[in-house]
Amino acid sequence: MTNILLITFAISLIYLGLANRLGSYINALVFQGIVLFGVAFIELIEINLINLVFVLLETIVFKAIIIPYFLNYIIHKNKITRDIEPYLPDFVSIVLITGIILGSFLLSNSIQDSHVRKIFFVVAISALFTGLYIIVSRRKIITHVMGFLVIENGVFILSIALGNEMPMLVNIGILLDIFASVFLLGIFANKIGDVMKEQDVEQLSNLKD
Amino acid sequence: MNILSFILIVFASLFFSGIIIRTKSIFSGRKGPGIFQPLKDIWRLFRKGAVYSKTSSFIFQIAPSIYFASVLMAICFIPFGNQPGIISFKGDFIFFAYVLALGKFFIIISALDTGSSFSGMGASREALYSLLVEPAFFILMGSFALLTGHTSFFEIFSSLHFGSHISYAIGILAAFVFVIIALIENSRMPMDDPKTHLELTMIHEVMILDNSGFDLGLLLSATHLKFAMYGALIANFFLTPNYEWYYSIPIFISSQILFAIVIGTIESFMARFRMNHNPQYIFMLTSISLLIYLGVLLILGKIV
Repeated sequence: MTNILLITFAISLIYLGLANRLGSYINALVFQGIVLFGVAFIELIEINLINLVFVLLETIVFKAIIIPYFLNYIIHKNKITRDIEPYLPDFVSIVLITGIILGSFLLSNSIQDSHVRKIFFVVAISALFTGLYIIVSRRKIITHVMGFLVIENGVFILSIALGNEMPMLVNIGILLDIFASVFLLGIFANKIGDVMKEQDVEQLSNLKD
Repeated sequence: MNILSFILIVFASLFFSGIIIRTKSIFSGRKGPGIFQPLKDIWRLFRKGAVYSKTSSFIFQIAPSIYFASVLMAICFIPFGNQPGIISFKGDFIFFAYVLALGKFFIIISALDTGSSFSGMGASREALYSLLVEPAFFILMGSFALLTGHTSFFEIFSSLHFGSHISYAIGILAAFVFVIIALIENSRMPMDDPKTHLELTMIHEVMILDNSGFDLGLLLSATHLKFAMYGALIANFFLTPNYEWYYSIPIFISSQILFAIVIGTIESFMARFRMNHNPQYIFMLTSISLLIYLGVLLILGKIV
């Protein structure tokens, strides 16, 4: 069952390459949060109860409800346009994301380690690099945060793979979530959308002393 | 008795487009034509002669027949339940794909042969989309060949077992990929609109714009046959070989009808994609096929 959920997660990564609205990105993030809830529930059922409840609450409340709601709120509040404005055409995106999945697949096959199950490793690494790719190839600051959330989902998967042995790693994954919320708060508090008219990182290069 | 699958596919092709048209007219609240209207259209075309332009050569005249023949040839490979198709050998799914590609090649060069600028544009698009579909089909069939350890349609489908959770997931994904491949290969709605009236937005229709009479009838009936052929491929996923014919024939017919209704529903409720968005949607099939391959490796225990 975990394998099915992880493959579904990988499909949502491909969907990120196809989508061209901010709304679709938020939906994909909600979906990923729900999938991660399922994975965490199945995999971490053996750790102690308080930790488990904390992890599950974190996945379902933070990843699937609060952060997407807050993203939506920021998009409406700062009047950010709905298009994600990629630097590269979508076809290149989807080819590259497929390449990322294939590459992480080959990479994980060359690693001889019995501690991590390979399917977790494949999906986690591909989520990491997909998030990185989204950060590099999209123009808006809000999409950079979304790319960071995808990266952080990847870290979470990797930490779940080791969750039974070291619950500390799971907690580090959750810390990343809070880090991302601080990012969002920064955008929200500084009203970057209002101050700069457009949240375009290219405008940062116009800054001078 | 190996001819059974051939007869059934030809039989199903007679009603397939009619069911699609009927579904669409019910959803849009029209009275609509009857189920036999496409058949009547083709019969009307078959009684007419063809008109050939003076600029076109013999390729334009033979291409429809070759296209029709290639589709008939491809249908011969489709197995049915516990019986192989008329022709069946090791690696026949590669032959299947390239027989279809041969027909498509001839229809493309005949479109270029007409000398019309629109036809050339449609031919280029059709070639691009077929090119993007091909890796998805091969990765999918290759994964199933790896899973079952056999390399012909009949052996793959007859030794396919659905046991664990992940094999169900793979079955659903594969059926999804096959449905989309069928839609692309038949140039239906999300990729190409068969009812469009503007040459600039046509893909398949603009290629056969210059064909008339008997040739057009051949092309149209080849499209119907192709639909039923892909429907039969999808039905084969659910036809387990243990069933006797009196179970498997109703399963076959009902899955064909279901497939037609699904296509009609998709066409009623979806707008077509923008032309420049098509390649990435088609390439997505390859990505999903790669994930199916990953799932197959998981089942086989190659990666843990």
